[in-house]
Amino acid sequence: MKRPEKVFFLILGMAVLSGCTVKAIGDPNRPITINAHITIDIKGLEKTASSIEDMVSGGQTK
Amino acid sequence: MKKVLGSFVLAAVMLGAGGMVMAQPGYDIKVMTPQVKSALEARKARFAELKALKSQGVVGENNRGYVEALGGGGNVKDLVNAENANRKEVYQAIVEQNDLGAGSLATVEGVFAGVQRDKAAAGEKVQDPSGRWVTK
Repeated sequence: MKRPEKVFFLILGMAVLSGCTVKAIGDPNRPITINAHITIDIKGLEKTASSIEDMVSGGQTK
Repeated sequence: MKKVLGSFVLAAVMLGAGGMVMAQPGYDIKVMTPQVKSALEARKARFAELKALKSQGVVGENNRGYVEALGGGGNVKDLVNAENANRKEVYQAIVEQNDLGAGSLATVEGVFAGVQRDKAAAGEKVQDPSGRWVTK
């Protein structure tokens, strides 16, 4: 296989992988517990809070 | 072959870039439910009255994202309770609609408290993170 073709298939593989769905199949009698840790973007939340408060005040704060 | 390869490289880059943008957190009220709409409208309607009470030092912004009656009578408490009920509806909508998890309500409340402290005008009372009431 020529080098450009290798690169092509590598990129194609990455593209397919980035859009694929992973299914986990387990024993229904032994349910899997996943502890999800959610990281909150505080700066993003501050922007949201600020825009909501500006909307409530009609831009009259301070 | 080179042209085809170039197109695929471009497509892959665009796909990757799109994925990154989607992965970035953007918190918002995504669905304006009747409850959230009503809460926001009620808050807008009482804003001027609440602002007047804040400037008199009768109401302050606490460090949990809510207003607190620091004086005044029953009517002030009623206003404070109504405001806080509406705020909680908005905070819960943000938590639920952004899949932040039930335990995140305190974080959302804390962030709103910080924003309220920043937006408070000079002379208004705010509670700092340590719990101390200060006049801005």
